[in-house]
Amino acid sequence: MTLSQADFAFVSALVRREAAIVLAPGKEYLVEARLIPVARQVGAASVTDFLANLQRKPNPADQRRIIDALTTNETSWFRDREPFTALTDVVLPELVKSRGSARKVRLWSAASSSGQEAYSLAITLQESLPAGWAYEIMGSDISTEMIKRAEAAEYSQVEVNRGLPATQLVQYFERVGAHWRVAPHLRRNVSFKHMNLTAPLPAMPPFDVIFLRNVLIYFDVATKKAVLRNVARLLRPDGWLFLGAAETTIGIDDNYERVAAGRTSAYRVRSAVPAGAARKG
Amino acid sequence: MSVETVVTEDDLAEMVEQVWVSYLDPEGVSPLVVSGDDKQATEVHSTVSITGTWHGHLVYACSLVAAKKSAAAFLAMEADEVSQEDISDVLGELANIVGGNVKAMLPAGCFLSLPTVVLAPDTASYYPAAARISGLYGTWDGEPVSISMWQSVKQEASA
Amino acid sequence: MVIDDSRAMRMILKRIVAKLNFEAIEAGDGQEALDLLATMTEVPELALIDWNMPNVNGLEFVTKVRAEPRLREMTLVMVTTESEQSQIVRALAAGAHEYVIKPFTEGAMIEKLALLGLVPTGANS
Repeated sequence: MTLSQADFAFVSALVRREAAIVLAPGKEYLVEARLIPVARQVGAASVTDFLANLQRKPNPADQRRIIDALTTNETSWFRDREPFTALTDVVLPELVKSRGSARKVRLWSAASSSGQEAYSLAITLQESLPAGWAYEIMGSDISTEMIKRAEAAEYSQVEVNRGLPATQLVQYFERVGAHWRVAPHLRRNVSFKHMNLTAPLPAMPPFDVIFLRNVLIYFDVATKKAVLRNVARLLRPDGWLFLGAAETTIGIDDNYERVAAGRTSAYRVRSAVPAGAARKG
Repeated sequence: MSVETVVTEDDLAEMVEQVWVSYLDPEGVSPLVVSGDDKQATEVHSTVSITGTWHGHLVYACSLVAAKKSAAAFLAMEADEVSQEDISDVLGELANIVGGNVKAMLPAGCFLSLPTVVLAPDTASYYPAAARISGLYGTWDGEPVSISMWQSVKQEASA
Repeated sequence: MVIDDSRAMRMILKRIVAKLNFEAIEAGDGQEALDLLATMTEVPELALIDWNMPNVNGLEFVTKVRAEPRLREMTLVMVTTESEQSQIVRALAAGAHEYVIKPFTEGAMIEKLALLGLVPTGANS
């Protein structure tokens, strides 16, 4: 009934390595309870069978399922805060100087999940861009279910409690029944697309800023390289890439260089490399 | 403004889920399982009344075992240490939380009463002048728990 | 300072702020909180305030605290089931710094306090 010590150790090591989550001993029941639906979903007879198969033949999709099952609702508004502060204090002032003729910036929330990051970006731009400037935000996710949720832009009470200042809740949301919906003047600038970052990406105009956070952690090195290469093609030469706090391009893709951005770091394509130039991989 | 206010079973289910994840089951291992059995016997009833532009009650009902378990989760103590006062306080707060969220879905201008908790079976007899408009019935670890909304009949007639 | 007429809710809030190394004083309603504050030489850094309470309610408490220069440094956070947009606006206009709607998870409460600069970086998870 309860997970064996070996299985628990396997799952602990996986989530520690990939998501920096530490499972204390004694949480076997928790792992078991969370993995029962996952095992059922992939058609395994039991959690034990599911884990045995995975240990015999590792596969990233099932690993991701485990990590998702063990990460409780990590989606906060302005998650980690610092990248948004860096956007306001460092990135936008620079873009405002360099994009003076177009007066428009384009941002991409890659792996946008239920949309909190894309709308947090919209709030940031709404408050930080000078008057007369326009912005466009694209969110993308591999799950069509998540795309639907993000497009609906409706959040529960518990969800709007997470990291969203009350002043912004009342300013940028409207109450709809039991939920809160992002106001139309923000939604107008935000769109969502179904996209698999590991496959060749559709042609689109490049972005000034890309948020690709807590995505690379799920992939092996070869896939990380492929994703970073795909993304580089869609980043403007003087654009900015933000990764999750536990992620880096260092040792994976030398085309990027790490730069300070406020109290955090961002990544920019090395000036020697003509960004956007198709680097066939 | 319409007085035909809809707080559906789905709305109640969502509130329940939020209460569970926040206080009763933060690790997500022991959810309320919906059974739909509105005849299940309950021994503890916690009620908040809503007045103003809408008149009615929100009732949180459960077995004594479930009530002790709720109180233990809130107060971080063992279920067998829980006193009657603890049950009354915790169940009152649970009804208050759900009631507050329900109120926000009703027409503007409603007020919420302080909760009343009774340790006695059968809720309907306390509100003979109200009709149930929605309810969520289920079990938590095998113990009956329900949340139901009752609208005062008098108001419906005069509306 | 934790002000709520529910002892259970005070317990939960005390447990959360204890994790951030706050020592909490409890009050069962706004009047009790005001009476306690009047006797204290050191003003608490933070007050978590329920809205619907007997005697002096949370909104009245916030208004009174804001009118009192001695208590100007206190950070005021409403923690309540009142969740209409208009109510949140009222509380912010009266001088509340943040607003947490019940039910809240421990993580959500800590994130809100982090917004107010009350959580050392790294303690947020």
